[in-house]
Amino acid sequence: MTIDLPFIWIAFKEIIKSLPTTLILTIVPLLVGFLIGIIVALVRIYKTRFVYQAANGYVSFFRGTPIIMHIMVIYYGIPLLVDQVSLKFNLNIQSSKIPIILFVLTALSLAAGAYLSEIIRSGIISVSTGQLEAAYSVGMTKLQAMFRIVLPQALAQSVPNFTNTFVGFLHTSSIAFLVSEKELTGAANIVASTNLKFLEAFITAGIIYWGLTIIVEGISFLLEKRVTSYSRGGVS
Amino acid sequence: MGKVFDPLLIIEFLPTLLHYLGVTLEILAASIFLGLIIGVAAAIPRLFKIPFLNQLVILYVSFIRGTPILIQLFLVFYGLPAILMIFDIDISKLEAIYFVIITYAISNGASFSEIFRGAIRAVDKGQTEAAYSVGMTSTQNFFRIVLPQALRIAFPNMANSVIGSLKDTSLAFSIGVMDMVGRGDTLISATAHALEVYISLSIIYYAVVLLFEKIFNKLEKHFNRYQSADISVAA
Amino acid sequence: MIILKDIKKSFNKSQVLRGINLKINRGEVVTILGPSGSGKTTLLRCLNFLERPEAGIVQIGNIQVNAKNATKKDMLSVRKQSAMVFQHYNLFAHKTVVENVMEGLVVAKKVKKKDARMISEKVLEKVGLSDKLHFYPSQLSGGQQQRVGIARALALNPEVILFDEPTSALDPELVGEVLSVIKEIAQEGITMVVVTHEMSFAKEVSDRVLFMDGGVIVEEGTPWEIFHAPKEERTRRFLQRISGESFFAPLKEQVN
Repeated sequence: MTIDLPFIWIAFKEIIKSLPTTLILTIVPLLVGFLIGIIVALVRIYKTRFVYQAANGYVSFFRGTPIIMHIMVIYYGIPLLVDQVSLKFNLNIQSSKIPIILFVLTALSLAAGAYLSEIIRSGIISVSTGQLEAAYSVGMTKLQAMFRIVLPQALAQSVPNFTNTFVGFLHTSSIAFLVSEKELTGAANIVASTNLKFLEAFITAGIIYWGLTIIVEGISFLLEKRVTSYSRGGVS
Repeated sequence: MGKVFDPLLIIEFLPTLLHYLGVTLEILAASIFLGLIIGVAAAIPRLFKIPFLNQLVILYVSFIRGTPILIQLFLVFYGLPAILMIFDIDISKLEAIYFVIITYAISNGASFSEIFRGAIRAVDKGQTEAAYSVGMTSTQNFFRIVLPQALRIAFPNMANSVIGSLKDTSLAFSIGVMDMVGRGDTLISATAHALEVYISLSIIYYAVVLLFEKIFNKLEKHFNRYQSADISVAA
Repeated sequence: MIILKDIKKSFNKSQVLRGINLKINRGEVVTILGPSGSGKTTLLRCLNFLERPEAGIVQIGNIQVNAKNATKKDMLSVRKQSAMVFQHYNLFAHKTVVENVMEGLVVAKKVKKKDARMISEKVLEKVGLSDKLHFYPSQLSGGQQQRVGIARALALNPEVILFDEPTSALDPELVGEVLSVIKEIAQEGITMVVVTHEMSFAKEVSDRVLFMDGGVIVEEGTPWEIFHAPKEERTRRFLQRISGESFFAPLKEQVN
């Protein structure tokens, strides 16, 4: 077997140009998903009437189905919806003009929201009830107690889980290649087909993802140390 | 031409797709089975700190956990034939499904080895101390005391891994496997009703995942039947 | 002034409080004794609605609430009349000592941060922790943490401070420092309701002692009345058991 090693460097320089797209496909869904996740987690914990079952269903469905399905359903479904609504209300929106990446981001955000809500929810549950009772006993309302006392500790303790999710979605962004988005994997495929050097191109892509993963895990390690320093004790 | 979106088609497509659920489950079963073997084999150098193999496994696990499954699929698909060519083995005519099983086995193996390692280390040291104090050898301790408890601890993570692997199999079609999603693709070419096909597929995946979760929950309860109940706070 | 009228509470079909009636005057220090399961902690927690009674009226100061149809707002306003010191301290783990004490002032009583800080530092000086202002709870001993808990309650200047077995979770050698702080506060005229096993506290500092068993107040009176001339059989049996244990304690120490 001959691997064209010099080509890997050439491929690297070309493929890395698509890194921004991959990062957008990773970070945007996680940010939106985080907001969704907090709301959904709180709804599930407080069992808010009417929405509680919907929240449970949402989390169960999006965690129970492959992400490629989410992308495909949104990719084919939203344009149909947009066209129907556009027709009914005489708005002049053409679904074909919507950039594909928006569909991908929507699908990924919904999936991220489900996964993150589970992490946030279990983080909240793991904060001892004594903290909540103390908050109530000094006169805080439910909301104040949740946002000032419980949530900060829950999030700090969940950093490892958040990291896993980040890495997970970094990898999931590669699925966008299947709907012709030019992120890292898509770029690798183009380099591969153009030069007929499939193995080298995908090895390069693999190395890039691997490197990114290691960097993210390193940052998370430092972050976790800082953010949970309050519980480390020591001096007395 | 018919309607643009026909909900009835979702139901109509179900039998056609279900016909290929077996393929998906075969891929899952084979890759889990092989993955278990790889996982145990990989956990051993880590647990017993065998030099060189230990580092090799660390690298292997790091790479698998550091790359998307899609990339792994392509690497095996293009790389395995190239590697085997060196030994004059020609697998260029091998069906795609075998590449897929090998890829998922390698991927699962990495996850499983980490789960096993964590579970064995999580068993309370006191258990081993007690075992030695009643006169057991280290082998007896491992197989009679540590391993059973490690399996119980590992179970939820293993269950999650299996369900995750099931969802991952949905990507196999990208290298041409005729599984459920692959059949879905041909349906789309035939009917141009992509949305209905994907909704139908989602329903099937969701149902299977729910079924797995129910089964795993029951199994977990069974494994934990000797654990103490939670102590509730007295008045 | 605290009034409890006919307070009832059950957990899972077992009645834990069977109709409690109680009146506590300003400045009184009331100790509640009783075996575990008697309902004394539940009663205390009903005072600040950490437990919600099924029936009865809770009144602290000017605020009166009927438990049956109490709204969240009602419960919150009663809660703001009191402050609690917990068995397991329950300090806000992610905040420093001074932040812990300031938190209730700033958030619930809407005191300005500067003023809150001043009040907090004064109160922390009172409990002897001026040198630990910027420490985190995880860096303190149990006794120090509990003193912060007491400071946190004191800073709010509530109508009543509720103590839920404040020394039960402490190592024996740390109990003393916390008890002396509590005794000091008691002598200053703050209204206190204390659930405890520390008989010395009940004897030396309380104005009134309540003995609870099986969800009712069996007997109440001055410390002298309860400890030297208990009227009820159950009270006598409980005191015998307790004093029996304390009889053996010095013997055990001799053997060791």
